[in-house]
Amino acid sequence: MIPLILSSIREVPPLGWEEGLLWDIWNNLLRGDRPFMLLRGLGISARIAVFGAMIGWVIGFSVALIRISKSKILALLRAITTVYISVIRGVPLLVQLMIWWFVIVGSADADRLFVCIICFGVSSGAYVSEVFRAGILSVDKGQTEAGRSVGLSAFKTMTLIVFPQAVKNALPALVNDFTILFKDTSVVGFIGMVDMLRAANHITAFTFNSFIPLITVAIVYWSVVTPLIALMSRLERRLRKSDSR
Amino acid sequence: MIRVENLSKSFGDLSVLNNITEEIKEGERVVIIGPSGGGKSTFLRCLNLLEKPTSGRIWVEDEEITSKKCNINAVRCKMGMVFQHFNLFPHKTALGNLTLAPRHTGRMEKRKAEEFGMELLERVGLKDKAYSYPAQLSGGQKQRVAIARSLAMKPHIMLFDEPTSALDPEMVGEVLDVMRGLADEGMTMVVVTHEMSFARDVGSRILFMCDGIIAEQGVPGKFFTNPENPRTQQFLNSIIQT
Repeated sequence: MIPLILSSIREVPPLGWEEGLLWDIWNNLLRGDRPFMLLRGLGISARIAVFGAMIGWVIGFSVALIRISKSKILALLRAITTVYISVIRGVPLLVQLMIWWFVIVGSADADRLFVCIICFGVSSGAYVSEVFRAGILSVDKGQTEAGRSVGLSAFKTMTLIVFPQAVKNALPALVNDFTILFKDTSVVGFIGMVDMLRAANHITAFTFNSFIPLITVAIVYWSVVTPLIALMSRLERRLRKSDSR
Repeated sequence: MIRVENLSKSFGDLSVLNNITEEIKEGERVVIIGPSGGGKSTFLRCLNLLEKPTSGRIWVEDEEITSKKCNINAVRCKMGMVFQHFNLFPHKTALGNLTLAPRHTGRMEKRKAEEFGMELLERVGLKDKAYSYPAQLSGGQKQRVAIARSLAMKPHIMLFDEPTSALDPEMVGEVLDVMRGLADEGMTMVVVTHEMSFARDVGSRILFMCDGIIAEQGVPGKFFTNPENPRTQQFLNSIIQT
């Protein structure tokens, strides 16, 4: 019954929607394939953000460890990470993305989604590494000394004592970085990915209305990011239970 | 039990310990006093290699810990250390603080570690705080948990680095009581402290450190009533005045 109503709505506007704002809403968001264009776009953004963030966390964590270590063997790696972070931070994400697609990959046959995920992962890794580094350094030196003094190895002291506290300290900034990453996926249209924003542009091309599609995109972004931030504050409060601050 | 030979330590150009040779025997309660910056804490921290000596050799129970072959983690299991700022693990409960090391060094399994942990908490009078986090404890309670945490490894030697210096005055007593209890049981202890009454009552030997050397040492009675070194006299006078 409901699918029937839905599909009939997609053919003709509901009664009383023949003119004005309601008709615009129907024409831009409900008519034909249009709702699915936007949803597919949202799916693309979500996939890029989630997989990109995962790659970013792995890169960021490794880079943070390399930058914190004082070992002489890793000196070369440390120099590389310094260059990596400075390049990523100094070049706009959109420029990075276009370089990945048009210069590094340079082939129209490549998988755009895959290239986007790699680009976003590599970019986010630089920011996340600084977050992790700050998180680890924020743990008091006395914690390491206490861990070592009861006979734990350096590795166990790190994993059992320092990291849990470091992640807790870094968590708010990590979520913040993730929301930025998610919002930044709106640039992938520039290499021909049809994300939500690009889908909205396609709709505008048919309906000559940019108000409804763009406002819809804004509302969708907002309503994904806001609960994430709210969830984060709740989680943060719970983790603070062991803290007097 | 601990033997130190020609121990020197410098941070950059700053020489903190200057060619110290000393021996601490089993069951001794050595109290180290002296002015700030005299090298007391650094000396103590060298004993379990939290500071790496610049030169010199240290033996703990006939094992040379300054040798490259030494497994320092195994040696540290035998030496408890109590810090000025407690350094409890804030993400673990009091009991969790006690069981962490025994479990993860493979000494005890979880259940046994928890049983022993409760036993130790009872001993320091904090059984009812077993499931509290450090942030919910007072300074004195934190330090007692920290002492229990060290004892959880069944150490043969306990090192105390100014254990009462960060405490409110009314909490000093409860921590010193726990330390007195340990001394009565015959634990070998090395204590850096500013608590002169504790040094006098509990110490079996007093070391006075200043300018990176052990300037004077002796049994408490003689040391406090009749110090020989002018530097010691000056230090003791300044303490009595305050």
